[in-house]
Amino acid sequence: MRALVVEDDRDLNRQLVAALTEAGFAVDTASDGEEGYFLGETEPYDIVILDVGLPKMDGISVLEQWRRAEKKMPVIILTARDRWSDKVAGMDAGADDYMAKPFHMEELLARVRAQVRRASGHAKSEIECGALRLDTKTARVTYDGQPIKLTSHEYRLLAYLLHHNGRVVSRTELVEHLYEQDFDRDSNTIEVFIGRLRKKIPGDLIKTVRGLGYRLSEEPDAA
Amino acid sequence: MRLNSLAFRLFATATAWTALVLPLAGLLIYSLYRQEAEQSFDDRLRTLLTVVQADSLDHAGTEPGAPKDVGEPLFEINNSGWYWQIRPFDSLLGRRRVSPSLSTFALPSPYEQKIGADALGFRWMDTIGPLGQPLRIAESIYTFGDESTGPQYSYVVAGPRDWRDARVAAFRNRMILSLALAGLGLVAVTLFQVRFGLLPLKQIERGLAAIRSGQAEKLDSNLPAEIEPLQQELNALMQSNQDIIERARTQVGNLAHALKTPLAVITNEARDDKSPFARKVAEQAGIMRDQVTSYLDRARVAARVGSIGRIAEVKPIVEGLQRALERIYRDKGIAIRTTCAGDVRFQGEKQDLEEMLGNILDNACKWARAGVFLTATVADGKADGGRCLTIIVEDDGEGLDAEQRKRLGKRGLRLDESKPGSGLGLSIVADLVQSYRGTLALDASSRGGLSVRLDLPAA
Repeated sequence: MRALVVEDDRDLNRQLVAALTEAGFAVDTASDGEEGYFLGETEPYDIVILDVGLPKMDGISVLEQWRRAEKKMPVIILTARDRWSDKVAGMDAGADDYMAKPFHMEELLARVRAQVRRASGHAKSEIECGALRLDTKTARVTYDGQPIKLTSHEYRLLAYLLHHNGRVVSRTELVEHLYEQDFDRDSNTIEVFIGRLRKKIPGDLIKTVRGLGYRLSEEPDAA
Repeated sequence: MRLNSLAFRLFATATAWTALVLPLAGLLIYSLYRQEAEQSFDDRLRTLLTVVQADSLDHAGTEPGAPKDVGEPLFEINNSGWYWQIRPFDSLLGRRRVSPSLSTFALPSPYEQKIGADALGFRWMDTIGPLGQPLRIAESIYTFGDESTGPQYSYVVAGPRDWRDARVAAFRNRMILSLALAGLGLVAVTLFQVRFGLLPLKQIERGLAAIRSGQAEKLDSNLPAEIEPLQQELNALMQSNQDIIERARTQVGNLAHALKTPLAVITNEARDDKSPFARKVAEQAGIMRDQVTSYLDRARVAARVGSIGRIAEVKPIVEGLQRALERIYRDKGIAIRTTCAGDVRFQGEKQDLEEMLGNILDNACKWARAGVFLTATVADGKADGGRCLTIIVEDDGEGLDAEQRKRLGKRGLRLDESKPGSGLGLSIVADLVQSYRGTLALDASSRGGLSVRLDLPAA
């Protein structure tokens, strides 16, 4: 999962990045509106945290331009201006949720997870595939009730596949959604992680769809 | 017309002036006319006396004769009031002759009464005639024959003073009537003038009332040159008042932004650290956050007190909140149903209504199972004659019992700590409702949940 944080306050920016990284996101940051707009326009994010009061270009304008450019990723607006007129303006500009400063990081993370799930079509906070189960609230993965220990990169990969389970996910898509923007993107590393996950998770749930990518499914391999 | 009013002052001074000047003018005119009437009466007596004397001398023999034709028929009529009399001072030296009107009555001689002659040699006196009528007498002394030794004759002509005084009295009565009518007319005109002249002030009063009731934003009457500057100044004053409020709000917003981001940083930093010191910092930062929010909201409420003439359409506000909240709560699948006519208007700031309804609807969405219902209606029947905007928000959640409803709305109190929110929502609503002299009432809804009823001024 990739997240974009657009926040001009350096401390808050750092805290958001830390919290989101810990929650299993690959996080990019921008500290002004123009940079934020550019990143959101060019990179495929699964969630965006957008401050309203930004230098160069305010958050509402950034959001409106994304929506005009058909960018549909979930966006949570972050602002100190918590009047309802501001909230309505933010939601009308295309925001999916709204957080007033100061906020509890846990609440923000809960809303981030909720938006990510909703965007990938899951209603409940727990995502299952056969005996494999991901609790998005705690970021714990279990198989048949037994916890599975994962590194952060393994978790990111599995969480993405689980969010999109039943669908074929290409390697390029995985690379785009699992690594930060300036990460050295070598799709071969994906294969390495897939291999490790197959070892840790019983039941051969991760299928390889030749020439297309991977698919998480409990059904027997058709190919 | 109140005693302490411009109209009364103008009216009273004009009336007092009229009441003083008209009688004085009347007195002056009356005395002039009276003088003139006396003069002309005396002139007539003098003319008659001259004619009587000349005619008498024309018919004189050894002594002055009786005048034959003096051109005044009233001398012929008995006791007419018009008489002449020719008499020698020494009755032995000649006969006394009188007009037929006088018969046996003897007119007195001013000469014998020691009355001096005027510049023309005539002597004047007032006396009483045969029938007790008041007479005016003119006399001239004529020496018949030799200037130094001839006998002296007294020529007297009398006329009725009544005749003169009646004319003066008639004139006086007509004049008093005319002046009284003129005075009444003047008072009426003054009254009209005052009313008409002060009409523009009424216009300003109506204009200000319209601004207060929100029907107008500024004074816009076509006023006379004298008070046009007043209108401009009032408009400028209201504009500057509005500007001050706007500035205060902007600064409140800026302050919020400036304080809340650092508070967010402190809070987050402290929550990551599990030391007692960090816990203390987190706790205190939480208190600071609540204080900042509470005082900023209070400042916002205070900033709008005294702002006048604002009107907000209810429907767009409700629709905006509906869009935003249905989106925020779309995972819960909350549907917000609103019943609000297009012409329902709130007399007050748009942002205030938005804040009240936003908080109430947000609460309703938090607690609802699937539906939130909002009804906004306007009805007559506020105590001060204004119209009342009633907004009822209901949800289909579990609702609250009477005890819980009583506790709700106290600052910072949350019935369920697990639901997010600072707990300030309803008390801010209560503050805002109070600042508009409205009422906020909680009740059980027939749909199962809570029913929140707002009564606010409508426009």
